[in-house]
Amino acid sequence: MDVIKVTDVTKSFKVFKERSSTLKDRIIFRRKNKFESFLALDNVSLTIQKGETVGLIGRNGSGKSTLLKLLTGILYPDAGDINMTGKVSSLLELGAGFHPDFTGRENIFMNAAILGLSKKQIKSKLNDIIKFSELQEYIENPVRSYSSGMYMRLAFSVAIMVEPDILLIDEVLAVGDAAFQQKCMEQLMKLKSKGTTIVFVSHDLGAMEKLCDRVVWINKSKIVADGKPKRMIDKYLTFLGDEENKRLIREEEESTHVVVNEDKAVENVNSEQQINVESQEISENIEYETVDRWGNRQIEIVDVMFTDENNNKKIGFMSGDYMKVIMKYKINQKVDSPIFGLGIHTIDHINCYGTNTFIDQYSLGEINEHHRGEISFNIASLDLVSNTYLVTAAVHDINGNQYDYHDKRFSFKVSSTVNDVGIAKLKHFWKDEKNQEGL
Amino acid sequence: MFKKLKEIYAYRQMLESLVLTDLRTRYKGSFLGFFWTLLNPLLMLLVYSIVFKYVVRIDMENYTAYLFIGLISWSLFSQAITSGAGVIVRNAGLVKKIYFPKEILPLSIILGGVINYLFSLLILFPILFIHKINLGLPLLMIPLVLLIHMMFTLAMTLLISSLNVFFRDLEHIMGVVIMAWFYLTPIVFTSSMIPEKIAFIFNLNPLKVIIESFHKIFFYNQMPDIMSLGIVFLFSLLFLQIAFLVFKKLSRNFAEEI
Repeated sequence: MDVIKVTDVTKSFKVFKERSSTLKDRIIFRRKNKFESFLALDNVSLTIQKGETVGLIGRNGSGKSTLLKLLTGILYPDAGDINMTGKVSSLLELGAGFHPDFTGRENIFMNAAILGLSKKQIKSKLNDIIKFSELQEYIENPVRSYSSGMYMRLAFSVAIMVEPDILLIDEVLAVGDAAFQQKCMEQLMKLKSKGTTIVFVSHDLGAMEKLCDRVVWINKSKIVADGKPKRMIDKYLTFLGDEENKRLIREEEESTHVVVNEDKAVENVNSEQQINVESQEISENIEYETVDRWGNRQIEIVDVMFTDENNNKKIGFMSGDYMKVIMKYKINQKVDSPIFGLGIHTIDHINCYGTNTFIDQYSLGEINEHHRGEISFNIASLDLVSNTYLVTAAVHDINGNQYDYHDKRFSFKVSSTVNDVGIAKLKHFWKDEKNQEGL
Repeated sequence: MFKKLKEIYAYRQMLESLVLTDLRTRYKGSFLGFFWTLLNPLLMLLVYSIVFKYVVRIDMENYTAYLFIGLISWSLFSQAITSGAGVIVRNAGLVKKIYFPKEILPLSIILGGVINYLFSLLILFPILFIHKINLGLPLLMIPLVLLIHMMFTLAMTLLISSLNVFFRDLEHIMGVVIMAWFYLTPIVFTSSMIPEKIAFIFNLNPLKVIIESFHKIFFYNQMPDIMSLGIVFLFSLLFLQIAFLVFKKLSRNFAEEI
């Protein structure tokens, strides 16, 4: 049986630029309020069956809470239908309607009444609520004397004891200490086993995996995916990693943009600009010497970028990922057997590793004047601990004369799932060896 | 409207606790406690009776008693409007976070007002007794008149409170309107004092009939005029119906507007 049925629901908010909400302004100045529409939910459909526990995940501002508010009936959709069957109770905010001057017990009555319980029901549950909140000694004190943890505990205890057919929870599970959280979790499990339909929003993916039968991922006002919790959470996490990477790339581009403007070095921002600067460079033949870049530019490294194995640009890596460093170069003058080199340093300038094509005895293909080319340095498993790393890229001749030297001008980031320390992740394993008897 | 009433009934516990909270917060922590609610109309009575008895010199027997009957009935209305205007905005926390029939908020104001009114009757009767005013069967009409008074006041409060969400200055505008309305209602004067030339303005005021009825019951020991009371009843019923509709329509956007 479908207890929640959302059909093609669209909801947008008006974001007012300047707001006059007075009758005087409206009448005297005939002022129209300027606003922009913000689409919070775009043609969303969702059905939830009785007894299902469904989690909503997504980034901040993706529309999760709006959906919950629509389900609760606080907001109304612009278009589409919402059908709810059964008694709905929602925990969008704990302690809404608490009065600081009243005692805990009085507030239980008031809060439970606000959540739609009758006096008889409240009386029968009063002891359970107080017991659950673990506030027996303080229950006759005014709520204003409570610590914030106690306050939340009381509020949560009331809310969770309202046994509805459909329970909507918005990001309120992170209440109290670990022991209390465990208790809340158990109570939710209990409700679940009783056949309560639960919809909840949380960023606690662990809790979500434990509790949900199904996870719905909402991104940018739309439902992106819907399915088994583990799968959805993995998908979501991968997406988050990607987003973080994109953000880093964007940030980097913004900062290189500044560099380009500052020292007029040839960096890739867009190809048009690249060509512009290039032609300028050739015609003027200016020697570029900056603090972190030098060389005669017979060969020029125009760009260094980090990618994954499929050449997708990346800046944030996981420890153990495949990393490819691509150096784009341009030959201004024909030279004999240039050597490309690379160095990786920690942010505090400790050299982690450095090598070049000569050391590794890698021979480049034929090199012609006015050609462009790319050479890549491939690390199959990036065994570095979590940190930010700086990269030096260079091209020089066999005697060490620099054509182009970029001193720690590039950087990438490594994150790790484990908290090991140092610089390099040495391949290792642990093993129980026999204890030697006697001394 | 019937469905709405049913839903409101389902949330009666919330209504009760809102009314009680309102009443209790008023006396909690104040020295005189609940007597403030009784003191208020008494002080008003004192001021008005000094001004109109000794300064304006209205020549009327038992003027103080007459004044008090009008004042307490009037303050049920005026307080509902003044504190009801902002009730949705004041309870933004509830409106934005919890689902409940929003009609409960203005309704709680009215019920609070009625309870206050009943308490002021406790003062009214001794005053009537001191003035040796006879009371009789017309007292049986009080519930009916009070009901009509409540209906009209509720309709006004529903309208004002919902509109105030969108036009926040309505609250202040109402202050002026209420003051003018006070003098369009026979409270400090009797209906017979109204000059015939401008009587038609006064006759448009439903509160005139309601307060006159209270005067008749408590002061003149007469049955109120059933005819005009009936008209006001029908008018209030229609008005209430419209107010519920408007409120329902506007309440869809409350959570976004506040």
